[in-house]
Amino acid sequence: MSTAESTTSPNPGLRDRVGTVFTVRPLTVGLALFWIWVLARWTTDFVLAGVSGVDRGTPFVPAAPFLTTADTVASLATPLGVAGAPLMWVADTLRFAADATAYLPALAHGIWTTVLLTVFSVCLGFMLALPLSVVRVYGGRWARWFALSYTELIRGTPLLAQLFVLYFATSLTQVLRGVPGVGVGFVPAQAFWVAVISFTLNSAAYQSEYLRASLESVDGGQLTAARAIGLSKLEGIRYVVVPQGLRLALPSWTNELVYLIKYSSLASFITVQELYGRTSTIANETYQYTELFVLVAILYLALVVSASALMDRVESHTATAGVGHTRQ
Amino acid sequence: MTQPLLSIDDLHKSYGSEEVLEGVGLEMDQGDVTVLIGPSGSGKSTLLRCVNRLTEINSGRIALDGEDVTGTDTDVNELRKQVGMVFQDFNLFAHLTALENVTLGPKKVLGMDAADAEAAGRNHLEQVGLLEQADSYPAELSGGQKQRVGIARALAMDPELLLFDEPTSALDPELVGEVVEVMRDLAAEGITMLVVSHEMDFARSAASDIVFLDDGEIVEHGPPEQLFQNPTADRTEQFLSRLHAHEETA
Ligand SMILES: Nc1ncnc2c1ncn2[C@@H]1O[C@H](COP(=O)(O)OP(=O)(O)OP(=O)(O)O)[C@@H](O)[C@H]1O
Ligand SMILES: [Mg+2]
Repeated sequence: MSTAESTTSPNPGLRDRVGTVFTVRPLTVGLALFWIWVLARWTTDFVLAGVSGVDRGTPFVPAAPFLTTADTVASLATPLGVAGAPLMWVADTLRFAADATAYLPALAHGIWTTVLLTVFSVCLGFMLALPLSVVRVYGGRWARWFALSYTELIRGTPLLAQLFVLYFATSLTQVLRGVPGVGVGFVPAQAFWVAVISFTLNSAAYQSEYLRASLESVDGGQLTAARAIGLSKLEGIRYVVVPQGLRLALPSWTNELVYLIKYSSLASFITVQELYGRTSTIANETYQYTELFVLVAILYLALVVSASALMDRVESHTATAGVGHTRQ
Repeated sequence: MTQPLLSIDDLHKSYGSEEVLEGVGLEMDQGDVTVLIGPSGSGKSTLLRCVNRLTEINSGRIALDGEDVTGTDTDVNELRKQVGMVFQDFNLFAHLTALENVTLGPKKVLGMDAADAEAAGRNHLEQVGLLEQADSYPAELSGGQKQRVGIARALAMDPELLLFDEPTSALDPELVGEVVEVMRDLAAEGITMLVVSHEMDFARSAASDIVFLDDGEIVEHGPPEQLFQNPTADRTEQFLSRLHAHEETA
């Protein structure tokens, strides 16, 4: 039996083994279902609701079947006394599922806000991080000092404090409220944009650290060769060093993305109704804390796993022999 | 009277308090192939890097086509278009294919459009016998192939002068031949080359001049027959006999 295994590869990576045998298929199916639900929810609530007679936030699945099943299970459990406890637990879970059908549309809306918050912040953060990291590696003394101070200031203080300073201690909120379009229709209100700015500034510092390390690990001969064919220093950085550095930075950049998905929940402290904010609002009204936070944990997990899966794709798509950690 | 293509005059270069080049003078005419030999640390790489200003000089004069290129008002990128360089460690752009390595300069520096640059790039790869590897990445090439791509990359800029810094010394012995052969072809085509190399085979068959550099000064300069058969300076003779002894053991 084992001969077939031993002929293929003497020492397959744990990742491959686990990946092909246990996780890939159920994971793919699970993620696909998750995104089909999310996209269907967004389409119904954001697009169709206004146009046709569809009601905003109508649950896809009725609560009734869950309730009747729960009642049946409970009636079976009651005569069993203490031995019926596991069955009672099943009944309670089914009752929560019935409630959840009503919460899920609101949570899907929260996912929309979380995704927007994360994508905006990570992309804008990247645009700041790239010049910051280039300055850190190639800049003059003062520029380097400035970039270093910025990174250290941001990395040395709590994200929540940065968020509060921007929201409460500056006039940013007032300014943003005055911007035409903010809070109208699909455009989120000012608190959301304060959170985007805060996370962007924060993420830029962390991303620039990852990028700096990657740029520094690109062999110095690369820039010399670029200069020797007549490219300016900046062109050499742009066409030769940065493309290699970005490939090297991808794994740590994925980490940053995953962190940001989770850290974006801090925006709920400044009233942004993203995924966590909506969950805690519902929990405060219904007192179903445990059930709701288990549910929201599963939703965050789905977002995080989707992000890593996406970045894995990007990584294998951009993989170049001899640049970075090419997977065999 | 024709003026030399490259003329170096009383060149001084120090790193800190250590003087690495102590008044070097050298002239090369169009089509010359000058081979620079000398012990490790004698300043060969430094001299080469001064010519395309990868290193700044302290004093002296370097002129290309009669024009001083050491001034602060010289456009170094303009200079480097005219002076190609081939490195000991190849330094191929790791994220680009062989063809992309060759076309990057023409596209970004010379402003050629992509189609023209590629057509020209394929010609240059063919010239070094690597047309088939056009789409390979550096990591997928042997050392000899890498260095030939390095040469094609330099040629693609159509330079007036090519600098080679020990182009074969990072190669396994069996791969040296293919690179030397390409260099010999270039020499035969009349390309002006300043080559740091201890590859005696190439020096004897392709060089128009041999320059022996020791301790930052040019000790002896002459055609290969004369310098190899009848060196005038003791230092040259000692260096050559050590080189021969090394060649025989290799
Ligand atoms: N960037 C630098 N900073 C300080 N010293 C340097 C630098 N580059 C070269 N040197 C010194 O200058 C001297 C000449 O170096 P160079 O590389 O030109 O010698 P070389 O003849 O090319 O030697 P090799 O045959 O080992 O390549 C050496 O003593 C070296 O240590
Ligand atoms: Mg050297």
